[in-house]
Amino acid sequence: MTDDALDNIDNINTSEAFDAEGARQALDVLHDLRRRRKRHRLGDIEWFDAAYRVYLVALFGGGTVLWISSSITDTTVSNSAVADVARNGPALIGMITALAFLAAVRSGAQGGPLALEAADVAYVMLSPVDRTRALLRPVVQRVRSSAYLAATFGAIVGQLAGRRLPGTPVAWAASGAVFGITTAMLWAGTALVAHAIRLPLWIATTIGLTVVAWQGAALAWHIPGPTNTAGSLAMWGWRQNLVDLSAFAVAAIVLMAGVTLLQLTSLDALARRSSLVAQLRFAVTMQDLRTVILLRRQLNQEQTRGNPWVPVPRWITPPIPRRGIASVARFPATRLVRMTAFAAMAGVFQAMVMRGTSPALIGTALMLFLLGLEAMEPLSQEVDQPDRTDSLPIERGELLVRHLIAPAVALIPFAAVTAAAAVAVLGTRAIVPAAILALPTVVAGAAGGVVSIVRDAPDPTRNTQQAFIPPEMAGMASAFRVGLPILVSALAASTILFVRHAETLHTSAIGGAIRGAIGAALLAALITVWVRRRDRWKRTFRKFMSDGQSYKQRSTA
Amino acid sequence: MTELSTRQLTKSYGDRPALEPLTFKVDSGANVALVGHNGSGKTTLMKMAAGLLDPTDGSVRIGRHAAGSQEARRLVSWLSDTPTFYDDLSLWEHLEFVARLHGVTQWEDRAEQLLDQIGLTQRRDDIPTTFSRGLRQKAAITLAFIRPFKLMLVDEPFVGLDEPGKQALLTMFQAASQRGATMLIATHELSFVTRVGRLLALRDGQLVYDGAPADTDVHALVLPS
Repeated sequence: MTDDALDNIDNINTSEAFDAEGARQALDVLHDLRRRRKRHRLGDIEWFDAAYRVYLVALFGGGTVLWISSSITDTTVSNSAVADVARNGPALIGMITALAFLAAVRSGAQGGPLALEAADVAYVMLSPVDRTRALLRPVVQRVRSSAYLAATFGAIVGQLAGRRLPGTPVAWAASGAVFGITTAMLWAGTALVAHAIRLPLWIATTIGLTVVAWQGAALAWHIPGPTNTAGSLAMWGWRQNLVDLSAFAVAAIVLMAGVTLLQLTSLDALARRSSLVAQLRFAVTMQDLRTVILLRRQLNQEQTRGNPWVPVPRWITPPIPRRGIASVARFPATRLVRMTAFAAMAGVFQAMVMRGTSPALIGTALMLFLLGLEAMEPLSQEVDQPDRTDSLPIERGELLVRHLIAPAVALIPFAAVTAAAAVAVLGTRAIVPAAILALPTVVAGAAGGVVSIVRDAPDPTRNTQQAFIPPEMAGMASAFRVGLPILVSALAASTILFVRHAETLHTSAIGGAIRGAIGAALLAALITVWVRRRDRWKRTFRKFMSDGQSYKQRSTA
Repeated sequence: MTELSTRQLTKSYGDRPALEPLTFKVDSGANVALVGHNGSGKTTLMKMAAGLLDPTDGSVRIGRHAAGSQEARRLVSWLSDTPTFYDDLSLWEHLEFVARLHGVTQWEDRAEQLLDQIGLTQRRDDIPTTFSRGLRQKAAITLAFIRPFKLMLVDEPFVGLDEPGKQALLTMFQAASQRGATMLIATHELSFVTRVGRLLALRDGQLVYDGAPADTDVHALVLPS
């Protein structure tokens, strides 16, 4: 048999005819495979479950949009405010495009934006199929999903803007969507080009930061910015400048350039990203935000520092805080920069709340939640090693609480950043309230991250036979699972309302800040108790349920 | 004729060199074993030859073509030590896909023969991602052999294989070699080394031996410095 089976070895045909025909046939085979796999996937879908998920997303997503919309008054803004928007709007909105460009150029330098299945890399990319044609579909899928998300976001924000600014909400929503699509195309194209030309990361970062800094200068000094036209495109719901279409044209050209260079795609990067992206998609499916963030770090090749920024002080002897400080002291610079940005953005959002924009609380909550997920690395590491945790001679709840000490201390400088950002927006009158409120708010807000991490931990108290819950409850449980951590962060962020309320009543803002700080501190303490007692409470609850079922069965018998 | 050649081939991961400038040639039809301790650079070298890794410097050529080029991909079959599969295709569907992707139209008989040889006939309609480590390796072997090739790059082929699987694989290597294919096999299985005509040894990314296996103490070559 061997000789027959190995006939392949003699089957190499080096004629040109094989090249052209073979390549065409290979593409046909590839398309055939993709069609077949699509049929497999469609056959595997639980349509009722999928429809229920869509229903939940529509319910909660739509509800959130409606709530935010209703929070914005329908009265149009003053003439001076309209003039302000006209003057600063293009540069400010263009900053989003500039930041997307920075993200894209860095993503491309790190091997993005494409990610294939590992098997596609092993079999398709290593076959003689034309790589440009083979990669075209993943590119289309990437651009399509990014454009869809960006357009949706642009349309939502656009219709909100249209409620207070000249122009109809529908026109604003349309222009917001076009802006989103333009930015998404620019993002994808830039990343593809940066990838294909193997742009070193430091050069990519320099180029990206230059564009962002230039755009920042355009915002500050009203000079022409590189992405002003893109920003202006978002304002077509109000007034139209034909030159703004150049932003769309440039984005399309960059995207075409990226597609043209697909042949130069690095398999090295595709292979590295493939398994991570598969895990990432699974984590997204499971609404496992912590794992999503962990995998994003790996995708960005973010590695813990070999040498800590500072050594662990000798006088700290308890092993768990020591281990926590060792972890925090090895945070890479990129993560520290990201955490600083989250903290600063939280401060800006809080300032917006103080100025009357209540929906900005959602922004603060998200920033603090993300800050918490970043800071709680020691806790995450412990949760990721359940076997080791269970082998330690210490109760799990107690162990996890001790892991909170180092991250809580590490949050102090970030709380200072939050306070400084808020003061920068609100002025010096905010110094004392910000100083009082920042640390408790940041720590309590980060507790949302703690809830996410601890809830995702394997549950040693769970009996798998009791794990079944009906579909209608599973949907709610899923929404609760995602929403609860952010709700905790939102509660922490809402302590700013004590200060706003005090200012509204012309009473002491410092008093309001103290009340808010006490509220945030109580919330943080509550979460700590929950972490400490959670296993015990769940065990008690399950025993109660089990006893009830036994009693019912006995009664029936 | 030279099937595989490297010139000043270098690979670094950040500041850490994985492969020092490396220059060698493998003639067409040669049967070569590549040995070295863990982290010596074997897999890095193989992946660069397969076109999966970009060299930091230098070049790899398959015949007259750059590694990873469309022409080179037609000539090279890569058998990885960490096989990957589609999680929604059976082994039989994998065989069909890989064979047809490489222009093999009459693939069914060959696929059946390969499955029979490696002992996977009973599992042909199963999904290979559900296989054990050894069975996954066997499935990967059939996929590496179902397609045409002139050069086969093999990384740790014996890991997880049972004795019948090892024997079947050795037979297939031998047959491929007899039919003129060039074989480059990275392995820790030192007993295999006596079967090849040429031995390359890497230590800390440097080529420390290039010659006949009989002329050296192979065990000493695989010790880290």
